[in-house]
Amino acid sequence: MAFSLTEKDVLRLRRILLDLLDRSEADGCVVCDSGGYVLAQEGRGTSDPLLLSALGAGVFAASRELARILGEDEFSAVFHQGEKRSIFIRAVNREVLLVIIFSNTANVGLVRLYAGPASGEMRGLFDEVAAAGVGVEHPERTFVLTEGGDLFGAANPG
Amino acid sequence: MCGGADMSFVNFAIREVQLKIVYYGPGLGGKTANLQYIHQAIAPAARGALTSVATSKDRTLFFDFMPLVANAIENFTTRFQMYTVPGQVMYNTTRRLVLRGADGVVFVADSQWSRMADNVESFANLEENLRLQGDSLDQIPYVLQYNKRDLPNIAPLNYMEFLLNNRGVRRPSFGGVAPQGAGVFETLNMIARLVLNRFVKTHARREAKESDLVLV
Repeated sequence: MAFSLTEKDVLRLRRILLDLLDRSEADGCVVCDSGGYVLAQEGRGTSDPLLLSALGAGVFAASRELARILGEDEFSAVFHQGEKRSIFIRAVNREVLLVIIFSNTANVGLVRLYAGPASGEMRGLFDEVAAAGVGVEHPERTFVLTEGGDLFGAANPG
Repeated sequence: MCGGADMSFVNFAIREVQLKIVYYGPGLGGKTANLQYIHQAIAPAARGALTSVATSKDRTLFFDFMPLVANAIENFTTRFQMYTVPGQVMYNTTRRLVLRGADGVVFVADSQWSRMADNVESFANLEENLRLQGDSLDQIPYVLQYNKRDLPNIAPLNYMEFLLNNRGVRRPSFGGVAPQGAGVFETLNMIARLVLNRFVKTHARREAKESDLVLV
């Protein structure tokens, strides 16, 4: 699905994520969709949320296929444990993922515990976003494409 | 599986638009080479890192990913998320996963005569995977790149067109030599424009609604 988040949506999302980080003592979190778009981020977990979303969405999509092979509908969460930092990915709904980064001084149990209610709150928000749709009344005025020329080119042509 | 047309993401709070472009095609056809060339040629400020989930022999295993940013929509930051899929036949499941949410597709064909069957199979595979996610080549913007134009034993461009660009509406196509950059930016700029035009159309509402999304 396509997403359009208003300022109100973003503020609501921010509140949910900041609350999650505070309670779970995680370093940072990213909310992304199954295609890898970054929908929101908070905290200091990563300097590259775009890449984290792309890889996180890929990992979770692969885990869904693994679940299917095992006869499960899906795995609701994926956990990767590192030596110093770990990552916990939880499905908010079929299209949205919550990616939480935490150091190993934090408690994975707390992360799992608070990820649940945070996901639930976000699910409600995204249900409303989906119901609202993505359209604007005058897209040609809201989204004005820049005139002429190519968008991309070599930095040092020739 | 959820899917279908109308992907993309708009964040009105930070005025950002995100769009996803996927490079598709047979194995070793030049999809990764396109992104590698863009990565090394484009200004660093316009791109992020190129990340490849690949085998030890540098064959794409899951995907390549590289974000680009452009001044495409006034008063918005437009981010293009560029992906390639693994081209080898056995990776169809992962190709479907990467294709999810694509706003546009670049089909990179290998111009060598020996690869024609692979081109056709890969194109049919693209159609099928789009159909499974509720989309189709009739709806999604796509362009074709006929790569490896520098090699001997290649098919002429009109043959490639006949083979791959024979649907009701002809799509833009470009000859290319991806490692040298020939056709790479032409292809990228065309798919970016097509995706942007569709994005604006997609965001039209049929009925006027009072909404804080409306900006005049």
